[in-house]
Amino acid sequence: MTTETQSPSITLDYVKTIGIVNNGLNGRGFANPYDLAVSRDGRIFVLNRCDPARASAIRVGVLSLDEDYLYEFGDGAGNGDTQFRWPVCLAFDSQDNLYITDEVHHRVTVFDAEGNFLRKWGSQGSGDGEFNGPAGIAVGPDDSVYVVEQHNARVQKFTSEGVFLGKWGSHGDGAGQFNLPWGAAADSSGNVYVADWRNDRIQKFSADGQFLACFGSSGSGEGQFQRPTSVAVDAEGFIYVADWGNERVQVLDADGGFRVLLRGEATESKWAMEYFAANPEEKAERDRSDLKPKLPPHLNTPYHISSQTEPYFWGPVAVSLDREGRLYVVETNRHRVQVYQKR
Amino acid sequence: MSDSNIALMAHLMRRAGFGANRDELERFVEQGYEATVEELLEASNANSMPDDLIRRYHVEQSELRDLAGSAAYWMYKMISTESPLEEKMALFWHGLFATGYAKLNQARSQLNQVEMFRRSGLGAFDEMLLEISKDPAMLVWLDNQDNHGDAINENYGRELLELFSMGIGNYTEDDIKECARAFTGWTLGNAEYMSVRAYKDSIWPYGRIAWHFDYREEDHDKGEKTFLGETGNFNGEDIIGIIAKQDATAEFICTRLFQFFAADEVDEEGARCIAAMKETYFESGYEIKAVLRTLFNSDYFKSNDARFARVKGPVEMVVGAIRMAGSHQTPELGIERVSNNMLYMGQGLLQPPTVEGWHEGLEWIDSGSLVERVNFAGKELSDVSSPGVRAIIDRLAATGDGVLSPAEFADGCVDLLGPIAVGEGTREVLVDYAARQGDLDLRERQPGDESEQRVGNMLRLIAATREFQLA
Repeated sequence: MTTETQSPSITLDYVKTIGIVNNGLNGRGFANPYDLAVSRDGRIFVLNRCDPARASAIRVGVLSLDEDYLYEFGDGAGNGDTQFRWPVCLAFDSQDNLYITDEVHHRVTVFDAEGNFLRKWGSQGSGDGEFNGPAGIAVGPDDSVYVVEQHNARVQKFTSEGVFLGKWGSHGDGAGQFNLPWGAAADSSGNVYVADWRNDRIQKFSADGQFLACFGSSGSGEGQFQRPTSVAVDAEGFIYVADWGNERVQVLDADGGFRVLLRGEATESKWAMEYFAANPEEKAERDRSDLKPKLPPHLNTPYHISSQTEPYFWGPVAVSLDREGRLYVVETNRHRVQVYQKR
Repeated sequence: MSDSNIALMAHLMRRAGFGANRDELERFVEQGYEATVEELLEASNANSMPDDLIRRYHVEQSELRDLAGSAAYWMYKMISTESPLEEKMALFWHGLFATGYAKLNQARSQLNQVEMFRRSGLGAFDEMLLEISKDPAMLVWLDNQDNHGDAINENYGRELLELFSMGIGNYTEDDIKECARAFTGWTLGNAEYMSVRAYKDSIWPYGRIAWHFDYREEDHDKGEKTFLGETGNFNGEDIIGIIAKQDATAEFICTRLFQFFAADEVDEEGARCIAAMKETYFESGYEIKAVLRTLFNSDYFKSNDARFARVKGPVEMVVGAIRMAGSHQTPELGIERVSNNMLYMGQGLLQPPTVEGWHEGLEWIDSGSLVERVNFAGKELSDVSSPGVRAIIDRLAATGDGVLSPAEFADGCVDLLGPIAVGEGTREVLVDYAARQGDLDLRERQPGDESEQRVGNMLRLIAATREFQLA
């Protein structure tokens, strides 16, 4: 007699929205946030990619879950060690050092959690230790650092000091191949997951790059993806995917089975409420409005719907988890983060 | 393949598109003139730089909050489209139904309007008028959210008649009021909140919220109206039906199309061409595609009278130079600095100066804008690493034995950039310039070496000629 293993159940409850658009000055708020990571003590680190008009404010903002803005680091656009051009992703190691990729600088920069520059590595190229468009970055349980390169269509593995350990991948749509890959995650066993962006799938590898599984296909159905940008994995093996082109988040079980779909349900953040307290007339009109309107048919695409429906995800570019079972969904176009609690 | 066929095709592509390189022209000539006109008119699902790629790298072009990024987004589409007439028509309608960012603070919705121009730009004119009357950016631009059943606002009704369809002198003040009454209740979703946000330029708390059309029946004046001599309980659709069948409307839209695509000034022959376009307008059920087919296939359009009879607009200048150079074909950091050049030359996309659009023709040229035009086109065309410039060098190198006399060198460049009809004085200057360094020897050339750079310099000089400013 065989017993079917029942995979654990998962429910995600919406908790809150944090953030507000920041109009180019440093300080409170977000400017086109692109990724998020939570330190061991629960501080939230948000990578602000910023549009060109606000590039002088490219930075990492640090805040608490209660929206206390704590501090920030990074010195805007430039070529210095603490500057960026097009930063993409960030990840913590076990010591709370923060690794940030930049796809224009073709490098990884490492800061401590207080924002002090520690080291950097990489330059443009296709050799070992060189990068062409580094995007996703993940740190394994042994502090190995995995960097996804979109244009070299590969993953490189490094020590936390940046010593090259190995690589895998090539351009294509076969197993272990990539088409402009983006985000990455590592699970507690050291397996590595890659958001294979233009192949509309998630690939899973062992820590040394052996292909293990592939989840998803192109489309808008359950378990299908449209340009997935980011992936996260929790201790039970649930796989969270930022299904960016479909403007939604999906959760798969460890075998790739579809489990949860989120479309977003943003409410007013603490900072938003502070804004409306100072702008009561605008708030009054807002309260009389229907923020989930019925739209004409020519606007019936996920992108257009999200551009007109403020509570929904718009540009959900990154998913991230903390140690308390919270899911953070980063929305580039809405300059905010929606927080969910797993139970 | 005769030179005259290439020259005619180059003329068509400068007008119905943004110019074409020699490989493209040869392909078009091979398939024939009328077949090429049909290809331009019938293109659908045109390939251009994909949105997913643009949005991945350009957060500003994903959000489309600000003007600069939004103009750059449209420029990406223009420089990469395989259906140039679709974009050219969108530009035409953008100039005619001029809607500006300064008042709206809503670039995303302006680009939705541009997308509508792509979708409907070659369709029937009455359908286009209906689309623009339901376009939320236009409605806010002309205050129609303030046009109520019990208190009309005439702005949209007035401009619909004066600037969008018939032209002044073909209707009365009463017609304007009745027209405005018919469009009461035509507004945008959450109009009050969106108006406050637009007025305050509020991006708070989570960026802009794009707009959509909303019809408020309870705010519509359902009473009887008399418009252009007809009486009924007209709504906006009825008004547009009456407008579309007017001779003045046919004259207006055909003349505007003629001036945009054929010649800045209308002479006697041009007037005959417009008369034929009007005939097509009515025969086809007001179809813009049919009207343009008549224009492009007319003897007038193909004649020498129509060649170089227009001043290139700044958008044509920028997009044309980039397409000829083959540059900027993938998303790149700083692209908004490229598209800003259109603004410096006097034509910022999504920011026409007034509801009248841009004043075209010779008004594009003043001492400041001319410097911008020459500098920009010269920079693009002198970059010998750009694929389009490399293709020109390759063709020159394949001329004879790869050694070109100064005259062959200058004539070859003028030919491959157009062909452009340069006057004798201009040609002399170009040949003299070439002669300073003697024959051009491309036999042993290496990428970017001195011989190749001589070609780049010659192309830069041609970009500075009077003739290059004309389309």
